[in-house]
Amino acid sequence: MIYLDSAATTLQKPPEVFRAVACAMHRATTPGRGGHRAAQLAAELAFRCREQACQLFGMNDPEQVVFTMNATHALNLAIHSVVRPGDTVIVSGFEHNAVTRPLAALDGVTVRVAQGALFQPRTLLCQMERLLEQGAQAVVCTHVSNVFGYILPMDEIARLCRRAGVPLIVDASQSAGCVPVDMSRWQAAFVAMPGHKGLYGPQGTGLLLCGGPTRPLLFGGTGSHSRESTMPDFLPDRLEAGTHNIPGIAGLLAGLRFVQRVGVERIGAHEQRLIRLMVRRLERIPGVQVFAAPEDSGLQSGVLSLRLRARECEQVAEELGRLGFAVRAGMHCAPAAHRTAGTLDTGTVRLSVSAFTTEQEVLAACRALARMAEK
Amino acid sequence: MPYYLITCRSLTYAQRTARVLERVGIRARVQRAPASVAEEGCGYCVRLAERDLKQAVQQLSAAELPVRHIYAVQPDGSLREVFL
Repeated sequence: MIYLDSAATTLQKPPEVFRAVACAMHRATTPGRGGHRAAQLAAELAFRCREQACQLFGMNDPEQVVFTMNATHALNLAIHSVVRPGDTVIVSGFEHNAVTRPLAALDGVTVRVAQGALFQPRTLLCQMERLLEQGAQAVVCTHVSNVFGYILPMDEIARLCRRAGVPLIVDASQSAGCVPVDMSRWQAAFVAMPGHKGLYGPQGTGLLLCGGPTRPLLFGGTGSHSRESTMPDFLPDRLEAGTHNIPGIAGLLAGLRFVQRVGVERIGAHEQRLIRLMVRRLERIPGVQVFAAPEDSGLQSGVLSLRLRARECEQVAEELGRLGFAVRAGMHCAPAAHRTAGTLDTGTVRLSVSAFTTEQEVLAACRALARMAEK
Repeated sequence: MPYYLITCRSLTYAQRTARVLERVGIRARVQRAPASVAEEGCGYCVRLAERDLKQAVQQLSAAELPVRHIYAVQPDGSLREVFL
């Protein structure tokens, strides 16, 4: 199988990730629950993972790094911490349901969309600035669209939020590991990310980088302040009730180290090069519509959406699957992004790459699509 | 030999404290706090040798990691709070 669905979950992981998970399952228990060797090893793994995240994402306090189940969990925590019923929240037109649904679940929250067409960062920024002037209690914004790979101008968005004094929550689901994510530069209230995509950790892991006040969603044991009936008022304990996923965290640590060693810029450049290669091949095939950023604009990560004329996206993905290519079709849990790009009625076929994807693999996918387009 | 315990609000805080000290060559071990000093129940502390205490406190102050309580552990195991 040629795997081109890394935007959902990276399948190929560095071998050390598998070893770390297995080793932790054999030798480590849970941090903060005992003083024995197995608990100490778990504690050390968790702390090293927090330290590694700090190094990679421009933070200096490991206590501000919270382990979550995934990015959705992290985003729910962030939104629950910042947004109150009746608030006004600004989002981009490319948000995932992991952002839009938690906002919709809060009573009386007004969501304003900073509209800007696909790969048009200037219009998005103008809209964002205008909406901020009208007043809002929070901005929640994806860093990279999971449907189109569009890299949103987060440095500028963060600057606008700082100027307006509005807390910023960044969904770094598609950027962590392949586009620079820098908490200190953004001074964001929160940055949420999964462990199982560009950080090459196992499924069931995620990180919430905290820069603002927090409110727990889950209540329970933390191994600290145990006589109290309320959650501790300090991080990470405040947001980490219950037993940790230590095998997952050990794998995530190995994944983070891999990303640090190879380099975010290098991984990102590799992925962008593969996408450009696909775009050049596919855009000259009649009947194939690719959603590509202008060449050399640096606006597209390792994700490419496309449609084939007169073919349903699900049908295309199924046929590619039969030919041995793993891709994803449909809404990609982000109807807002499709609404913005005008693909809500059809969805798209999404091809997404990772540090382990090769040129040969993407060229093979292009040949398969070319043959399908001829039919 | 008597040694010292610096109590910490959480395991992660204790680990952070120990890391700062280890970076300047001070041997620091994270361990569970004795019940008598874990005020809110279940606590962690950092264990230090007697000779390292003064420098440790200076380093932690420089790193903006406030020290809550310091206890001297006597050879008979009894604890005495130390105020610097």
